[in-house]
Amino acid sequence: MASALRPTMLRQAFAAAAPAQRCFSTAMPAFRAAQLARQQPIKSAFVRNALPGATRVAAFHASPARAILPPLPQVIKGTVNDAAQVPDPTPMHGSYHWSFERIMSAGLIPLTVAPFATGSLNPTLDSLLIAGILIHSHIGFESVIIDYVPEHRMPRLRKLLMWALKAATVVVGIGFYEFETNDVGLTEAIKRVWKA
Amino acid sequence: MLAQRIASQSLRRPTQTIDSDEAAHQILAKQRLNRPVSPHLGIYRPQITWYASALNRITGCVLSGGFYVFGAAYLVAPVLGWHLESASLAAAFASWPVAAKFLTKLIVSFPFTFHSFNGLRHLMWDLGRGISNKQVQVTGWTVVGLSTFTSLLLAFM
Amino acid sequence: MASLRPFATRLGPRLFRRGLATTVEPIAGFSEATSKSSAPIPESKTTTVKEPSPDADSKIKTFHIYRWNPDEPTAKPRMQSYTLDLNKTGPMMLDALIRIKNEIDPTLTFRRSCREGICGSCAMNIDGVNTLACLCRIPTETSKESRIYPLPHTYVVKDLVPDLTQFYKQYKSIKPYLQRDTPPPDGRENRQSKADRRKLDGLYECILCACCSTSCPSYWWNSEEYLGPAVLLQSYRWIADSRDEKTAQRQDALNNSMSLYRCHTILNCSRTCPKGLNPALAIAEIKKSMAFT
Repeated sequence: MASALRPTMLRQAFAAAAPAQRCFSTAMPAFRAAQLARQQPIKSAFVRNALPGATRVAAFHASPARAILPPLPQVIKGTVNDAAQVPDPTPMHGSYHWSFERIMSAGLIPLTVAPFATGSLNPTLDSLLIAGILIHSHIGFESVIIDYVPEHRMPRLRKLLMWALKAATVVVGIGFYEFETNDVGLTEAIKRVWKA
Repeated sequence: MLAQRIASQSLRRPTQTIDSDEAAHQILAKQRLNRPVSPHLGIYRPQITWYASALNRITGCVLSGGFYVFGAAYLVAPVLGWHLESASLAAAFASWPVAAKFLTKLIVSFPFTFHSFNGLRHLMWDLGRGISNKQVQVTGWTVVGLSTFTSLLLAFM
Repeated sequence: MASLRPFATRLGPRLFRRGLATTVEPIAGFSEATSKSSAPIPESKTTTVKEPSPDADSKIKTFHIYRWNPDEPTAKPRMQSYTLDLNKTGPMMLDALIRIKNEIDPTLTFRRSCREGICGSCAMNIDGVNTLACLCRIPTETSKESRIYPLPHTYVVKDLVPDLTQFYKQYKSIKPYLQRDTPPPDGRENRQSKADRRKLDGLYECILCACCSTSCPSYWWNSEEYLGPAVLLQSYRWIADSRDEKTAQRQDALNNSMSLYRCHTILNCSRTCPKGLNPALAIAEIKKSMAFT
């Protein structure tokens, strides 16, 4: 209380700051805001999917800066004294997944260096390289989806994207099987196009 | 005078009494819904750490995206009458002007070299090595320089 | 949307707005699709509050500070400019903030306590990096203007005060205390060798200021499920502790796709830590210790 009664503070708080602060205000009159709120801007399917039904009316100041995954209004589950929920252990999506990913990436190093040393790879190593790149890409795309399409917010889109990715990986895998069996192989093909 | 001011101030802002914890919590929960999110991407200082990481993801997506597009296109090519065999691709590419060939090669080779070299850095970190601030900056700029140089070299080949 | 922005800034007298605003319930009136814009109104569209007592030889520096007032919930956040004479201001950013609050604008709100970098209250984003205002010197070149924001991608309670509830709830979830079933051998103390104690150096010094977590883009996008560097460093502090007997359970709690493995070694955390700690290394050690288990 003592500090609140310091005369300098009071003088500033009541005399100077209050009117000054008034002219800083940049808020809009409520009627204008309501008017603007009625004009609904066009939103991407992504944003529509991301938001619960009741909050789909965009306000006039919805962030244009972040169209992807705009943050929702703050909601805290439970009281402030409850700990955040700990998920059940799933090593297949945790430590095993991480280790497998690192082994894949490390395995790609010799397969990437070899063609530069030898010109092009033999069919076996070439198919191994393609398989490695395919799995590495699949894992990479998967982690992009996990990062930007959170399951608790967009469960349907998440599921859709994950299945689409799986389908794409299979299609691409078959495509490269065709390529490997009918054509000259990836490294040789890149070499030929590169030197064309 | 002072007392008057304080009195008038307290009149202007009547204190609200809150009956229960539940009511107080309701008020807080309602207030939370109004809160803005502080700025992030737009204001954080550009640093080699997160810029290199973002570039690593972008280059990875570009390379893998190209890989997926080609694989899928090759599968449907016979149906749609496209010619994606290596011989016809090479012949088509050979007919391009030199500048376009160089630019295309650069667009492919930079993501490849950057993602490869930066990938080595990531694998090193996963072994728990080279994570001091100094090392991260040195290796980061080394990767930028090395990948630019080698991608130019590849593009000239 | 961009074309509508000038309306929001041009705007009319506050008294008028206030009169209407009390009759319109802000939340019910126009429900928010998302939390409000992360881009505040730039300082070019707000006013500047000048140094109260400038001298002839004063070193005037400009500070742009993020402002948002919960009493005006419909107003956009904005950047407010202040000028200070550095000759009359202490050397640290916190001194500048305190001087602004004491002498220019008492409505400016921020957290501070120890003023010596041990409490972690004054964590904020200064000139683009997260740090403690009390440990951050004011750059003396007056031509450069300083920008102060709350910790990035946090819900703002008021001005520079972020809501860290989720951060603390996550801290609580890793059980940050010694867990043992067996009593100490001598019946009195849980002893530890010097070598084991040394493993905790660089971990126990963390003051939980949240600078690292809020510098992590992964934590920005997934703070609901990803624990973030600070909490993971704290978790490793107990995993690495030779006296703790629940190491396996602690690791199991992190063994899912979100809690730990959203870390993509971006390394903003170690770069920004105002205490010079290395959360990224601690996370790497956790991942290593859990590989193939």
